[in-house]
Amino acid sequence: MKNILALLRRFYIFLLFLGLQALALTFLVRNNRFHASEFIQHSSDWVGSVYSQRAQLSEYLRLGEINDQLSLENALLRSATPENYWHLRTDVDTLRDTTTLQRYYYRTAKVVNASVNREKNYITIDRGSLGDVRADMGVIAGGNIVGVVRSASEHFAIVMPVIHSDFKASVRLKRSGAFGSLVWAGGDAQLADVIDIPKNIPVAQGDTIVTSGYSTFFPANVHVGIVDWVDDSDNDYHLIKVRMGVDFRRLDHVLVVSDIFKEEQDTLLNKVEQQDAANGKR
Amino acid sequence: MLQTVSVNIIRILFLVLLQALVVSRVQLFDGLIFPWVYIFAILMLPFETPRWMVMFIAFFVGLLMDYFSGPIGLHTSACIFLGYLQPIVQKILAPREGYDLTQRPTVQRMGLAWYVTYAGVLTLAHHSWFFFMEVFRFSDFLYQVFHILLSTFATLVLMTIGQYLIYNSKSSQL
Repeated sequence: MKNILALLRRFYIFLLFLGLQALALTFLVRNNRFHASEFIQHSSDWVGSVYSQRAQLSEYLRLGEINDQLSLENALLRSATPENYWHLRTDVDTLRDTTTLQRYYYRTAKVVNASVNREKNYITIDRGSLGDVRADMGVIAGGNIVGVVRSASEHFAIVMPVIHSDFKASVRLKRSGAFGSLVWAGGDAQLADVIDIPKNIPVAQGDTIVTSGYSTFFPANVHVGIVDWVDDSDNDYHLIKVRMGVDFRRLDHVLVVSDIFKEEQDTLLNKVEQQDAANGKR
Repeated sequence: MLQTVSVNIIRILFLVLLQALVVSRVQLFDGLIFPWVYIFAILMLPFETPRWMVMFIAFFVGLLMDYFSGPIGLHTSACIFLGYLQPIVQKILAPREGYDLTQRPTVQRMGLAWYVTYAGVLTLAHHSWFFFMEVFRFSDFLYQVFHILLSTFATLVLMTIGQYLIYNSKSSQL
């Protein structure tokens, strides 16, 4: 007994090290596995408020540039209003379209913090569950793909951008319609990879990559980027380097995309998968 | 005593905020060089701090940093490792007559060569642990090694310059 105590006294620092390390790794694993970890929920409100103060300051310093962007957008929108068009037709008819239903809904949000130079980058936006922003919604900026919301607190949400080593999205080549996966291998924050496109499908520099619309995160045909170069050293698949349309270094205003049919689509898929699993067991 | 505690708490808060709001925003070669200067707060703990306390302080500094950047647990883990090694490195580097326990490990007190060895070894240990934990794959090993070495160097330079700027020989309380 005395010996054990002496041993404990001798190694207690090392045991303390192991204990604390185990605790830290538990945080890390839990937090990676679950979307809305409690820690993030509690912390991101006060950390987010510190970051939004800083974002306010840097936004103030960039007001000129933002004004230019906004006035350009205003000009575009103004020129699209009906009174700017001269109508060729003189007869009037009413058209009530019952063949379409709104599927995607967009909400604006402001970026309060973003990292670009790590392996796992995150973006914090100033909309949370109070603004109906929830996990698994897509985020776009200026018509370009940005990322997917991972978890939301009341006033803030954390977005996993394309430049995160765990990010994956379904995309396709606009020209041929071939599907692939968009991932990011680290390094340059403007270059992402498209993998899983077989070699028999021609890809050229300058081709456009858009989202496929297969996932419920993004609508189809959201711009991803332009093919920068193609690495064909692998045997079966192209490794396509894509220059992304969005500049992660200067993100200010983003749109959060919510899919109104998401729940329906997911439940349907789950139901079928459960049925299949049940059939398999029998 | 009370003053030492409050000075250390203020230093920790200041350095974590400095890291989160300023240093982490600096882009050097697409993230190849990424200094984590907040560990200065742990390196500057007085010699007399007990080992278990160094580890708990390191734990909370890491946790605080994690709240500001990315997944919880990453900095915590690296900082605990740093807190575990720090007294060992101090013991190995101890001068013949031992340390003046009430002092802190500064350049002015211990000399530049001693300080660079002390901070260099610990920063390298912390950065290696952190970057390998963050990436968790060895495919671009060489890039990672460069990443770690250059970042360690940058952190070391920033910390040493910071010491010369802040700790004048007279007002050595902060």
